[in-house]
Amino acid sequence: MSGIPHDHYEPNSNGEKWLHRRLPIVGLLYDTLMIPTPKNLNWMWIWGIVLTFCLALQIITGIVLVMHYTPHVDMAFASVEHIMRNVNGGYMIRYLHMNGASLFFIAVYAHIFRGLYYGSYKAPREITWIIGMLIYLLMMATGFMGYVLPWGQMSFWGATVITGLFGAIPFIGEGLQTFLLGGPAVDNATLNRFFSLHYLLPFVIAGLVILHIWAFHTTGNNNPTGVEVRRTTKEDAKKDTLPFWPYFVIKDLFALAVILTVFFAVVGFMPNYLGHPDNYIEANALATPAHIVPEWYFLPFYAILRAFTSEVWVVQIASFVTGGIIDAKFFGVLAMFGAIAVMALVPWLDTSSVRSGRYRPMFKWWFALLVIDFFALMWLGAMPAEEPYATFSLIAAAYWFAYFLVILPLLGVIEKPLAQPETIEADFDAHYAPKAGGTKTLVNPAK
Amino acid sequence: MMKTNLLSAVVTLGLALPGTAVLAQDTATEEELLTTPAETPEAEAETAPAEEPAVEAAPAEAEAEAASDEEAAEAPVAEDEAPAEEVTTEDAPAEDATEEATAEEPAAEEDAAEENTADDGQSTAEENAEAEAIVEGDAEGQASTDEPEVGVMEEEDHGAAEDDHAAGDEGDDSHAAPHIENIDFSFDGPFGAYDVNQLQRGLQIYTEVCAACHGLEYVALRTLSDETGPNMPEEQVIEYAKGYDVYDAELDDTRPATPVDHFPGSNLENAPDLSLMAKKRAAFHGPYGLGINQFVKGIGGPEYITALLTGYTGEEKEQAGTVLYENTVFPGGWIAMGPPLSDELVEFADGHENDVQSMAEDVSAFLMWTAEPKLGARKQAGFTGVVLLGLLSVLLYLTNKKLWAPIKKRRKDD
Repeated sequence: MSGIPHDHYEPNSNGEKWLHRRLPIVGLLYDTLMIPTPKNLNWMWIWGIVLTFCLALQIITGIVLVMHYTPHVDMAFASVEHIMRNVNGGYMIRYLHMNGASLFFIAVYAHIFRGLYYGSYKAPREITWIIGMLIYLLMMATGFMGYVLPWGQMSFWGATVITGLFGAIPFIGEGLQTFLLGGPAVDNATLNRFFSLHYLLPFVIAGLVILHIWAFHTTGNNNPTGVEVRRTTKEDAKKDTLPFWPYFVIKDLFALAVILTVFFAVVGFMPNYLGHPDNYIEANALATPAHIVPEWYFLPFYAILRAFTSEVWVVQIASFVTGGIIDAKFFGVLAMFGAIAVMALVPWLDTSSVRSGRYRPMFKWWFALLVIDFFALMWLGAMPAEEPYATFSLIAAAYWFAYFLVILPLLGVIEKPLAQPETIEADFDAHYAPKAGGTKTLVNPAK
Repeated sequence: MMKTNLLSAVVTLGLALPGTAVLAQDTATEEELLTTPAETPEAEAETAPAEEPAVEAAPAEAEAEAASDEEAAEAPVAEDEAPAEEVTTEDAPAEDATEEATAEEPAAEEDAAEENTADDGQSTAEENAEAEAIVEGDAEGQASTDEPEVGVMEEEDHGAAEDDHAAGDEGDDSHAAPHIENIDFSFDGPFGAYDVNQLQRGLQIYTEVCAACHGLEYVALRTLSDETGPNMPEEQVIEYAKGYDVYDAELDDTRPATPVDHFPGSNLENAPDLSLMAKKRAAFHGPYGLGINQFVKGIGGPEYITALLTGYTGEEKEQAGTVLYENTVFPGGWIAMGPPLSDELVEFADGHENDVQSMAEDVSAFLMWTAEPKLGARKQAGFTGVVLLGLLSVLLYLTNKKLWAPIKKRRKDD
């Protein structure tokens, strides 16, 4: 908004002028919608709108579900069945909400990895990145608490395991866990507070989303080249950018429509695909499921949590140095949160001056390995905690940390980046050069 | 009549606002609820107080140690031990983190209930076993439990693994997961729909066989007239409902059910409710392996039920007073339910085949309907959604192309 020179809203009629002098809301909307956007954005820049849509979908379907749901341990499971059977369209609303959470996380992971590849986190966009990470953390908290609400077996035992993580913190852990649960174990008090927070947090997320958008509207979008928009004059800026409306709105809506087509196919034809069958068994404190598996979107971090057993030498050293305060449990918890923390700190861990991975020949490979590592961790998180998965988990977890703490800092020093285009315009023109003959292949983000 | 509070609460829930339901529920204390399986009045008076899901799951859990564990079948006992054992055998470090929590919480939470269950459980376990036999023998008018070989169908090919195999998907045990054959049900796939005749046959089998012990507490009788369900005429549903007795809080007594009531819950405390069975035993479930088959093959729940019903080997053994039947599909290999089906057990009005396999398929289809009554409407909505969004995608694609054409073309004209 402030950064890239562009035309601002001018009130024309007397009515508009009257309003503008008192509340410049039309101007705010105009500037937000007409923000100059780098014209070379590729198809990995569509996830923002998918995420916005998901947030709206979850809030709307969620509010309707709350009208029929009963947050009580004796009633919750039956009330969900009531929604599925008796509420008009209830089955669809619930399945949309349930699968909407998965779409939300698919989109957020794509969004995060896009940022990691194209260096969207680098100066001056650190605040955007940090706010994004906060949103991601809140999403995980919200998703976790939402999964508890149907009060199935996985709800109950998932809640028991995850809140148990806090119990692993030395000294304060036990008290903290009791505080979180509202009692010694997962029970009605837990269900009620999770319900309350599950309703609250999406609105906190919505607030942070506004900050997130505000932040990147201030710095301008990153783009696949990582080269900044020219801000010397309005004319120069115009050569690099196009207004968000209509060019990117239509493009994003097209992408959203395609994604929603797939989404509706899943909701309509296999809505329980990503869920766990055990969650159709009502919660029972006396019967532990054979395997407690979290939702798929937690699996990578769950794998990291489980990777650090007491046999791992790092854990043994940590335990020895701290006189046993950091045991395997607590180390696992630290590792899990640490895995997210190193991601949040990436603006300061990446020492390369080049933003886009496109011009970083060595980085590309390490990044590709990170993506593979992420999926490997996801797979390992779903596997039972036994050999050979334990060793694989450890290797994969180690790579996750090595990427952020060792590889990124070193690459900036040893890597020789390729030449970057002078301007965004040059990049765009090269792509749509006359001899390209109209091939529409945009930049493949995987490269 | 504390037992019936839960039932009436469930019924209330189906009909009234959640708020009202909460009020109804509040009258029942936690302890009562824990010790009251929903049941019909005609059930045996001595049905033991214990939660049915726990008992149902108990053999499955114990199975890890079950090989030599003589108490695996002793449901209440196994149940008492389950949480502690589970956590210790569960070798995941994550679970370590919560070991104390899980180990102590049932104790803390269920103190009172547990005492009841444990006390009664010991003495009633045998009675239950007897009761089951009696109920089955009486109600079905078939001595199915006495002649296990009649209902036996060897499932020998379960070793031959295929790609749609559930192995590891459910990750439910140390055993190799049994192989569940896919069955081409009418409701599988994006355009699948329930076969009304099959659902009606399944209902008949359920009524004549399963209902002796099992319940369908989440299913309202009125839904039997759903068009996408069994599609029974309303008068027929009214007549059918009269066959069940339900507790009425206003009368403080039982009365014949009407279509607005739900099916009764299970009669036997270790016979699980079947409402959601087809969804909680999803054999092909999950994205791991080749679970994408779900798109065309369904979740595999009905296939599991069919496999279980036809998976008896004919072997039986007695364990702590309970007869267990060997079943190739049931986790742990031994199930407390005797082979419920035998050839020609149920006579269909239209003379449809009534061998064990086809009856098992019919009742599985019916149970899929009880678990997912809105499947037809859902698939229709999904289809509409996909078509409309697909159309929208095409339109937006063309719009986008046209919108950007001058921007890109300008270059080509240079």
